[in-house]
Amino acid sequence: MSLDKLESVGIKKLDIRGKLCPMTFVYTKLALEEMNKGEILEVLLDFPAALENIPDSCRRQGLAEVLEIKKIDKNNKVWKMNLRKI
Amino acid sequence: MNLSEQQINRYSRQIVLKEVGGIGQEKLLNSRVTVVGLGALGSPVAYYLAAAGIGNLRIVDYDKVETSNLHRQILHFTKDVDRRKTESANEKLHALNPDCKIEIINQWIMPNTVKNIIKGSDFVIEGSDNFPTKMLINDACVNLKIPFTIAGVLRFHGQLMTVVPEEKTACYRCVFRDIKEAPSGMSCSQAGVIGLVPGMLGCLEANEAIKSILGIGDLIVNKILYVDLLRNSFDFINVYRSENCLACGDKAKDLVKTHDYRGNMVCH
Repeated sequence: MSLDKLESVGIKKLDIRGKLCPMTFVYTKLALEEMNKGEILEVLLDFPAALENIPDSCRRQGLAEVLEIKKIDKNNKVWKMNLRKI
Repeated sequence: MNLSEQQINRYSRQIVLKEVGGIGQEKLLNSRVTVVGLGALGSPVAYYLAAAGIGNLRIVDYDKVETSNLHRQILHFTKDVDRRKTESANEKLHALNPDCKIEIINQWIMPNTVKNIIKGSDFVIEGSDNFPTKMLINDACVNLKIPFTIAGVLRFHGQLMTVVPEEKTACYRCVFRDIKEAPSGMSCSQAGVIGLVPGMLGCLEANEAIKSILGIGDLIVNKILYVDLLRNSFDFINVYRSENCLACGDKAKDLVKTHDYRGNMVCH
């Protein structure tokens, strides 16, 4: 899915830099609960374990699927994770 | 979503659960549970419900704390002896979770007061130590269609059942008819009780309230859980709604107004 297309369905943003697991998932889940099916959540995070924990918990709870995980800043170790609410 | 940063942190291990989430946590915070009796059963019930973030907890008792209560009534401490149980409980519950609004009812549950006391509750937990009170709570909750759970303990044994009047599940009176008093010698003061038995049954009662409010899992309805912690058995005994039950049967009346709840309403 191209970025343009993502924009068209609406992207919600969540900045959880500085949060550790399990709070990374807690905040992601709370954001997803407020969204409609198919909407995209863009999560900004810097806790490496969350790169596995968030997708894993989202899958197990049937909350969202991972569309993309991208490192956006090599020095600060910041990642962007795009999730689609299911 | 109206949860504060502090609430998100406090309830994070519940919010993480698939069955709860932020939506479930808000349901708990918006709910009202009445706990009848702040003794051995009511102590863990009130403690865990306050901790879980039940927003409104109505606590009912008229007793004062006695030294012989302390081995099992874990809300009360040695310094609380001779204090009202409601006052002692309020202090601990407020210190535990200021989110939880505590309503104190410093009264015995009586036929003329019971409905006012339980009115507006999403769930009622019966944790008294006598049959007339259990029957009164049963009859009033059935009449007002409030789901509730009743537990009882003795020695190393405990039993528990939940009733959902809207779903016409078997009620306490369907099973125990018109029992007014425990058989002679069958009270905690005479027969004794290990403190953790009501502790455990109280935890299960609190769990029933949480499941009912969230609409998750299975309630212990149309069966009685019978626990023997000396022999380590956990058994479910099926029970059935009686069409002739005076409280919930096809020709049921509002028993609270007319029924004779004789027996020892005030039991130690």
